[in-house]
Amino acid sequence: MSEGFPHNAGYMVAAYTVAAVILVAYAVTLWRRTRGL
Amino acid sequence: MTLAQKGRWTTVAGLALLAAVYVRALAFTPIERTQGPAQKIYYIHVPAAIWTETAMILVGLASIFFLFLKDARLDSFAEASAEVGTAFATIVLTTGPIWGKPIWGTWWTWDARLTSTLFLFFLYIGYLLLRGAVMEAGARARYAAVLGICGMCLVPFIHFSVYLFRTLHPMPIIMKPSTPSLPGSMLATWSFSFVAFTVLYVGFVMQRYALARAGARQEAGHV
Repeated sequence: MSEGFPHNAGYMVAAYTVAAVILVAYAVTLWRRTRGL
Repeated sequence: MTLAQKGRWTTVAGLALLAAVYVRALAFTPIERTQGPAQKIYYIHVPAAIWTETAMILVGLASIFFLFLKDARLDSFAEASAEVGTAFATIVLTTGPIWGKPIWGTWWTWDARLTSTLFLFFLYIGYLLLRGAVMEAGARARYAAVLGICGMCLVPFIHFSVYLFRTLHPMPIIMKPSTPSLPGSMLATWSFSFVAFTVLYVGFVMQRYALARAGARQEAGHV
């Protein structure tokens, strides 16, 4: 990481992780609910 | 192939696209000089926000047509779009504060954009609770349609709130009358992410709509 930038990569990683968890969890719940359809 | 199965494959495609977006955004998109890596939250926050608002507009439009046409498929679509919109709204309301902390120095502020977006989230939750609380199918669809139309009316206020009030939230840099103020590589990443979120919305709604139709058929069979 370049020295001139603010060191806030942890926030970026947290946000991307949260979004992935929400989307994958919702996809899994839909998959489980629609299994018989 | 059933609609639910098509929706499942569309969702798989959307998740694969999203994985590619993550690789492009995190590894191949330049870091913005003043905000640093946290600026990259933009690539997931804004597409999720656009689909949060679009999902509610579609709920409202389906609700208006339902009240006129009494076609249960429109009510099922509204139900599906509302649930998917809730998932996207959750992303918006979590990634936004995570961006706000390093950039603004606070997780949350009660400015017009943030407060109205939170209100939209509560409307989504209220819409889903209402659907779960009313047992009679006809009344449930009518009540939900009215709430869906109210939610749709809130969306333009959310979008224009940054122009109407002094807000901490940044002005739009893509969804505005003039050309987007993003460098080409950043705009390409954002556009790619928007496509991934669009495919995910479609895949989720296809599955949820199939589920809603199955529920409606089962309910009709019990009457």
